Amino acid sequence: MFKKDLGLLILILVVGTAVAIINPRFLSPINLSNTANLIGLFGMFSIGMGFVIITGGIELSVGSIFALLGVVFIDLLVTFGWPWPLAILVIVIAGIALGWLHGILITRMHLQPFVVTLCGLLIYRGIARWYTEDGTAGFEFGITFPALEWLTTGRSFGVPHSFVVFILLAVVMGVVLHRSVFGRYLFAVGKNEEAARYSGINTSRIVIAAYVISGALCGLAAVYLAMYTRSISPASHGSFYELYAIAAAVLGGCSLRGGEGSMLGIVLGAILLQVLQNLVNLLGIPSSLNFAVMGGVILIGVLADQQFTRRRQARLGKP
Amino acid sequence: MAVLELQNISKHFGAIHAVSDVTLSLEPGEVVGLMGDNGAGKSTLVKMIAGNFRPSHGTMRLEGKELVMHRPVDARQHGIEIVHQDLALCDNLTAAANVYLGRELLIGFGPFGVLDYASMYQRAAQLFKELKSETRPRDLVKQMSGGQRQAVAIARTMLSKAKIVLMDEPTAAISVRQVAEVLHLIRLLRDQGIAIVLISHRMPDVFTVADRVIVMRRGRKVADKPIADSSPEEVTGLITGAIEKV
Repeated sequence: MFKKDLGLLILILVVGTAVAIINPRFLSPINLSNTANLIGLFGMFSIGMGFVIITGGIELSVGSIFALLGVVFIDLLVTFGWPWPLAILVIVIAGIALGWLHGILITRMHLQPFVVTLCGLLIYRGIARWYTEDGTAGFEFGITFPALEWLTTGRSFGVPHSFVVFILLAVVMGVVLHRSVFGRYLFAVGKNEEAARYSGINTSRIVIAAYVISGALCGLAAVYLAMYTRSISPASHGSFYELYAIAAAVLGGCSLRGGEGSMLGIVLGAILLQVLQNLVNLLGIPSSLNFAVMGGVILIGVLADQQFTRRRQARLGKP
Repeated sequence: MAVLELQNISKHFGAIHAVSDVTLSLEPGEVVGLMGDNGAGKSTLVKMIAGNFRPSHGTMRLEGKELVMHRPVDARQHGIEIVHQDLALCDNLTAAANVYLGRELLIGFGPFGVLDYASMYQRAAQLFKELKSETRPRDLVKQMSGGQRQAVAIARTMLSKAKIVLMDEPTAAISVRQVAEVLHLIRLLRDQGIAIVLISHRMPDVFTVADRVIVMRRGRKVADKPIADSSPEEVTGLITGAIEKV
């Protein structure tokens, strides 16, 4: 597993170096800081996605959750005048509730994760648009929340706080994933749920917990994204963001079949994705090709990884 | 004294009588071969002992005390361990992780406990040594041969002081040499005073390692006799129904 992460790190360094040589502005403090901010924003919910994917599931409703919780968050602050810590708490709890609901539908009702979260994607987006009557939710001119802004969009010594929060979350969740019993059960359930159940593991609870963690991180990320964009048009806010998270997790070595993945991999995957985005901007590639570049790199990365794995196994003499 | 006694155990699924009126007992340190055709009720019988199903009728006694189980975990708590047919191992985890799956060792308190890798590796290595297996605790199960996987599955049963080990087709789908390894492992368990139920289709395995053979046909026990008094021909006859009952 470590070899995979190392390969990804090398890829990031190679791509970074190439971009830096072609356009030195890549290494300018302001560019690095902005890229770090995006890594933080997208990385936060990629961690949750990684947990879900390790259980063999998928969470497609992430982007719609951002739209729904984002407009509610702004409404709580602006229209209802709630204190922001309370608003954040409510949003995170709402994220947890949605994750829990997905988990329940998947484990108790035996629905497929893809179906459950696809319906979530459609439903939450629809509710968000209906709630705002398809209008844009945003802060009025002159309204400021200094403490909240410092926490979310602020920077210390040029380091965006979103990135700091992402790294802290990654460390904590890394311990959970690789050093706790829960983490080990995630891997066990993801690979062979039956074996896990025979071993006395409450597999439903483990799966639900993965969706709850993902939901909580989505709630937090919804706040950060809302503060970053400062205005939310519910028809497009956060759309396709679940795919960034899935891409980060898969690039980071998570198998969509479940049971594989590492926290370091997810972090590196999230970093690589944003470096690629940045590359498109800095190298003057038409931004319409943005997704095409990302897709191409992921495809090549996964292909290369597969070839390396096959070769390694051939050397070991095992199928 | 018998470690496990089943008295007039039956299991019905609606109108289907999977197991009817089976009475048997297991002695410590005894290997019992449980044989029968597909659908004869072997698996249902074993699943009742393993706590997967509750009997429709009849009683089970463990060391003289009545045994009622609601979940497979209950069986483990009572010292009944199961080696499943497909081995129920997680390929993506190490041998040690599989041995300890569901009962990990922790350092620290309560919810803040972290996995005690060192102790688990150490104890797992010790178990593999006892089993005279070359399995290394840090190897991933997916890289292992059938025999090594068997060793992992069997090491799981040795973690706690098991009284009874149920083995569901442990020698299916592995090579001849590995079968010998597994039979050797079964003898090692037996020498520790563990009662073993060996479900198998393979006549030679049962006749090599078992002390007693029980044959099931259509949910009923049709034979229960020492292996020395039986023969593969007789057992085949009992399984197919050519011989009614002994």
